[in-house]
Amino acid sequence: MLNLNHVTKYYGKNLANDDISFQVDAGQIAILLGPNGAGKSTIIKCIAGLLRFQGEITIGGFGNKTTDAKRLLAYIPETPAVYDMLTVAEHLEFIRRAYRLEDDGYGEALLERFELADKRDKLGRDLSKGMQQKLSICCGMVHRPKLIIFDEPMVGLDPHAIKELKKLFREQKDQGAALLISTHMIDSVEDYWDVTHIMVKGRFAATQYNRPEELRQRSLEDLFFAVTEGGQTV
Amino acid sequence: MSALTYLSLTRLKNAVRDLFQKPARLIYVVALFLLLVLSVQGARSGQIPEEVFRDPRELVAIATALFLFIFLFTVWNGFSKGGTIFSLSDVNLIFPSPIRRTRALFYGLFRQIIVTLLLGLFIFYQYGWLYGVYGITVSTMVMIFLFYVIAVFLGQVTAMTIYTFTSSRLGVQRVLKGIILAGLAFLLVWLGWGAWTSPADRLAGLVEAANGLPVHLFPVGGWLGWSFSAFLGLGPWWPGLALCLALFLVILFLLTHFDQDWYEDVLRTAELAQSAIAAKKEGTMEAVPGKVRVGAMGLKGGWGASAFYYKHKIENRRGGILLLPPVCLIFAVVLIAFSFFTRSGGILPVFFLSVYLQLFSAGQSRINRELYKPFVYLVPEPPFAKLLQCLRELLPSVLTEAIVVFVPVGLILGLGPVEIVVCVFARVSYALLFQSGNLLLERFWSGASKALVFFLYFLILILLTLPGVLIALALMVGLGLPGGPAAGLLTAGIVNIPVALGLLYLLRNMLQYAEYTR
Repeated sequence: MLNLNHVTKYYGKNLANDDISFQVDAGQIAILLGPNGAGKSTIIKCIAGLLRFQGEITIGGFGNKTTDAKRLLAYIPETPAVYDMLTVAEHLEFIRRAYRLEDDGYGEALLERFELADKRDKLGRDLSKGMQQKLSICCGMVHRPKLIIFDEPMVGLDPHAIKELKKLFREQKDQGAALLISTHMIDSVEDYWDVTHIMVKGRFAATQYNRPEELRQRSLEDLFFAVTEGGQTV
Repeated sequence: MSALTYLSLTRLKNAVRDLFQKPARLIYVVALFLLLVLSVQGARSGQIPEEVFRDPRELVAIATALFLFIFLFTVWNGFSKGGTIFSLSDVNLIFPSPIRRTRALFYGLFRQIIVTLLLGLFIFYQYGWLYGVYGITVSTMVMIFLFYVIAVFLGQVTAMTIYTFTSSRLGVQRVLKGIILAGLAFLLVWLGWGAWTSPADRLAGLVEAANGLPVHLFPVGGWLGWSFSAFLGLGPWWPGLALCLALFLVILFLLTHFDQDWYEDVLRTAELAQSAIAAKKEGTMEAVPGKVRVGAMGLKGGWGASAFYYKHKIENRRGGILLLPPVCLIFAVVLIAFSFFTRSGGILPVFFLSVYLQLFSAGQSRINRELYKPFVYLVPEPPFAKLLQCLRELLPSVLTEAIVVFVPVGLILGLGPVEIVVCVFARVSYALLFQSGNLLLERFWSGASKALVFFLYFLILILLTLPGVLIALALMVGLGLPGGPAAGLLTAGIVNIPVALGLLYLLRNMLQYAEYTR
């Protein structure tokens, strides 16, 4: 579903991502793990078509900046992106109209699920940061994307929302969507992932698959600290 | 050295050092300074015979109106938001420390004076036309600047004091608001009466009333106008300034002797100011707190890219922007007033000023804010369609603004309907031109430093106007195009449209290849 071939990104003279290649298949959950400033958000923004880059990124076989690719994609940014002057319900209506979708009640179901139904007439500016993040997730999901990218999704969420979000990850995986989740919190990853890429200084320093035999030898946490503090590359 | 002195000096030193470490900012400051010198020097180089200058009492009236507006606007805002002489870092670091409250207050006041001085420098750019119309000297200009600074400063401290003493007493706030509104109503009646009772020359009657004692006795704005009149040889300088000094001493006395715990009020104000700064940085201007009337729900239209247009309509309605942003309304009033005073010069001075003011209002459309959210990039629609739909909301407001300005201006100047339509058309063409220039800036320099962006903004917009101006001049002067100034404006407008559309066409894929900088 998602393919990256030799993607490099510079901010001016600063190298943010260095020759990154990987793929996420349908029904797979991939994790980007790394310390602050490792380049996780940059590569995610490149995939979402928000940054210029060298290399190639395709989504469902389409170039990531084409409208065909955008139809398949959901991007939930780290900083919740909501409109101050739109109510919760109007956010979903706006996304439906922009994506040319009839209202089939899925948006309302998402609001119920993330406990936003009673806030449907509240303006974006009047929501707390956690509620804005939940709304941002609902906006991303309402067009039933095939590739879902989350940048630090747990930050600012309450325990119920975190539980629902993890459930959503598993459901989307079961329904054949590809998920790419960026985080710097190892604890939040748990056991639902298929592959984890550990990023350090803009590069992939290690890749671990969720196979019991590999994890018995070394846990994800041990690998993370070996890579980020010990300078080891795997 | 005391902690507050150290803090003040270190902040000043770091600000200067920062200026030299960022060449773009330094170039911008130097360019602004050069422009300032040029506007003063350029105006003085053309000798104008003394008898052509207009009545200096008009200038006193204009200055008084400016001082009154600044003072009352600041104080009125203070009722809901308080004064903002402290930053959030001041509140978090100084207030909990064992520094005496009075010393903290003086530190805040000192900082406010510096900030106000810097902000007031833009007044010097008005020297060119003020010299041309009223023949004022540089020292008179300096006095306008200083009095403006006093008006802002006293407005801020008065706002802070009112907020501190009345924030928890809504009844007192209502009474104070009522007093201010009653005072304003009295002023308007007084001015209207002055114009009404001079049917031969209503402007002269209005100016006479604006120079009368009831206006001069109006707090701060009127007092400063009274003192300012002395510099044009029209009155004593001391009563107005003495009243300002007395007000300041009363405020100081109130804040220092009543042991009013103003920290809590300042904390809320500072938090609001901080959220406004953060919102501005993120491009989400509506995040400035305030009441919003939600009204009717739902987009009521839009499919694909046009959903952005319908969303913008809702946002504008809730943001209180029906057709004209407040700044455009203020500019319209300024332009109409300006046409009164320069009506012997024809349409060109007013039109040039209107285009100059457009430089400051051109960035008000929602497309600039939209670029700071990911949706406009993510929605699966052709980028050029999204761009045009995001610009669509501009057309009604730009057209309305042009009509609101040029119909009354045309009537004042005695223009015919065709000339008014030409002015409206030319003005709309400049709005389109400036908006495309804005997008050019966003496309290529959105991540640049604020100072560089500000500098480039003016440079690009001025460059974009050149083809229209040069072709109009070539046709009028070189080929003797008949029709006077209106023909020149029509030519410039006709040239502006393809220049703007051409630029938009070149930028059509900006949503596809721009860098999302948030």
